[in-house]
Amino acid sequence: MDKLNEPVSPHRRRMLGAAGAAFAGLAATSTRAAAPDNGAQVTDAPQSTHTQDRVPFLGRHQAGIVTPRPTAGMIASFYVLAENRADLERLFRTLTERIAFLTQGGPQTDPDPRLPPAGSGILGPVVQPDALTVTVSVGASLFDERFGLAKKKPLRLAQMQRHPNDALDASLCHGDLSIQFCANTADTNIHALRDIIKNTPDLLVLHWKQEGTVPPIPAVPGKPAESARNFLGFRDGSANPDSADGALMDRIVWVQPGSDEPAWAAGGSYQAVRIIRNFVERWDRTPLQEQEAIMGRLKPTGAPMDGGKTEHDVPDYTKDPEGKATPMDAHIRLANPRTKATDKNLMLRRPFNYSNGVTKSGQLEMGLLFICYQANLENGFIAVQKRLDGEPLEEYIKPIGGGFFFTLPGVRDERDWLGRSLMSA
Amino acid sequence: MTVQFRRHFLTTLVAGFAVLHVAGAQAAVSPLELVGPISDYKIYVAENVRKLAADTRAFTAAVKAGDVEKAKKLYAPTRTSYERIEPVAELFNDLDKAIDSRADDHEKAEKDPDFGGFHRIEHGLWVHKSTKGLNPVADKLLADVLELQKRLAALTFPPEKVVGGAAVLMEEVAATKISGEENRYSHTDLWDFQSNFEGAYKIVELLRPLVVKENKAFSDKAEANFKVVFDTLAKYRTADGGFETYSKLSERDRKLLAGRVNTLAEDLSKLRGMLGLN
Repeated sequence: MDKLNEPVSPHRRRMLGAAGAAFAGLAATSTRAAAPDNGAQVTDAPQSTHTQDRVPFLGRHQAGIVTPRPTAGMIASFYVLAENRADLERLFRTLTERIAFLTQGGPQTDPDPRLPPAGSGILGPVVQPDALTVTVSVGASLFDERFGLAKKKPLRLAQMQRHPNDALDASLCHGDLSIQFCANTADTNIHALRDIIKNTPDLLVLHWKQEGTVPPIPAVPGKPAESARNFLGFRDGSANPDSADGALMDRIVWVQPGSDEPAWAAGGSYQAVRIIRNFVERWDRTPLQEQEAIMGRLKPTGAPMDGGKTEHDVPDYTKDPEGKATPMDAHIRLANPRTKATDKNLMLRRPFNYSNGVTKSGQLEMGLLFICYQANLENGFIAVQKRLDGEPLEEYIKPIGGGFFFTLPGVRDERDWLGRSLMSA
Repeated sequence: MTVQFRRHFLTTLVAGFAVLHVAGAQAAVSPLELVGPISDYKIYVAENVRKLAADTRAFTAAVKAGDVEKAKKLYAPTRTSYERIEPVAELFNDLDKAIDSRADDHEKAEKDPDFGGFHRIEHGLWVHKSTKGLNPVADKLLADVLELQKRLAALTFPPEKVVGGAAVLMEEVAATKISGEENRYSHTDLWDFQSNFEGAYKIVELLRPLVVKENKAFSDKAEANFKVVFDTLAKYRTADGGFETYSKLSERDRKLLAGRVNTLAEDLSKLRGMLGLN
């Protein structure tokens, strides 16, 4: 994936430009294979110009939500082992300190070789930020009797309920705390996860984790950005609200001061995570027009079915009240009917594709690590999922895990820490 | 412990105490101060392996007599002496595999002809409720245990392996035991936990005077974590001095144990370096 960022990309771009000529790619490939003229070795590390990408850690909100999604993502869910408020605060402070270091990068030294090293070292002695964001959220179970936080629970935070098509596996559900890791490479996420596990052995126990990726696309100057494709081959993210529009994000994503939520929660957001298995073999054996009718979009472009050329064109359902162009039960139509009344159901989706292995039946175990953020969980994910219950797409998907969490407000300055507003509320 | 690691260790066995002379430059503890604790540990191991031999004799006799109930009763207590001294018992890879390997260490699992030792007998007693076909397994187990006793008596205990053994026991519990997979037929895992913790605690106890000199807070923290794991397990003691089955372990206590074991593993991994050992 980093190859797209290689400095030699002019050559590559010429190749891509010629992609219309059927065999051009093959010819270029064989030339490259025959003549590695720069002396590159098979085990040379792939080079990236993005290892120094740095996402600011401090802010009103945590990073990793409206931050443009990089290639690699992971959700890890933990049990909190802290037994009292002092330990819980120590956990939040430790997380703050580790995340500040991991996301901004820097050297990690080991002065005494007779002691275990401070970190895993998988990114080398100088940790590169690699666009890492680490986003901490808390589950409903953190507000049980252990820490006396029951009265401070965000109003709409509850354990994720089963929907009719779900086959939830308890070992992949819920948790006291979720941490979302996103970076340019999966290794950077793993490094961060291992660092946090190593630094919190008496405070956290890992419950489940799911990694995912997003396929990069070639940069085409002058053309609007496009949504990445999911493992069903469709663009996923069309019609997502504009994450660069601060006012819109305030309305859709961030809990606002003065809302009915507890005051400490302002600047936070509800995180809904769903591990949704896709039956890809079956999907790949489904006629294209049926796939498109199920999704409500054209597969190659992502354009809606009532005309338009790109995924950015907006379908007009008022002119299609009987669903002749876009079926009434098409995924995008149920998810977002684009009416005045359903405007409040908007949410910010930030999914990754996952691929885990092979099922007992010899099928691919893969799907979507669905993640979304919203200021109001009931109006957002829960309402949308209720509309989607029973959709034709269900024949091809099976939610097996996930959970609901509340993403803590951001760390405002060097003295602030994650969870401070909750703990001092 | 990996095979490579073990092999590496065996080559360094002969070095014995020589290693102490190159280490310890920064440590407040003098290498010679380790001599006492290490010989005490050797005595502890000798006592345990003597008990293991006696208990294994009784256990295998019950198996050979076809007394399923008696054999089942003796299974978990017999293992305790082995589990206490696992860090040194495991140094003999061939014997460890013969005595304590699990079905999934073998290609054909329970059906594998090489699957022997405690867990092969456990499988017969609990799954087949029978001692059928176990006679040669019982004979081999006793012979292997006696061989272990012989080899341990001749072993020069390398200090770094003894000191590191406390962490090794915790790593084992954390990585492959906390889930209850060790005694998957009998579910007597809590017995093993207790013995592994006792074995690790013995090492920490013997080293305590030295560790306190280096870092009192470290020692206190380890002490407190050991107390939690022992107290947690004590809740599952039965009237006859044994333990409830693994399935009785509450989810909350399992997590609690996992956290303390991880913390002890993390902390005890620094013990060797702290005492100036390579």
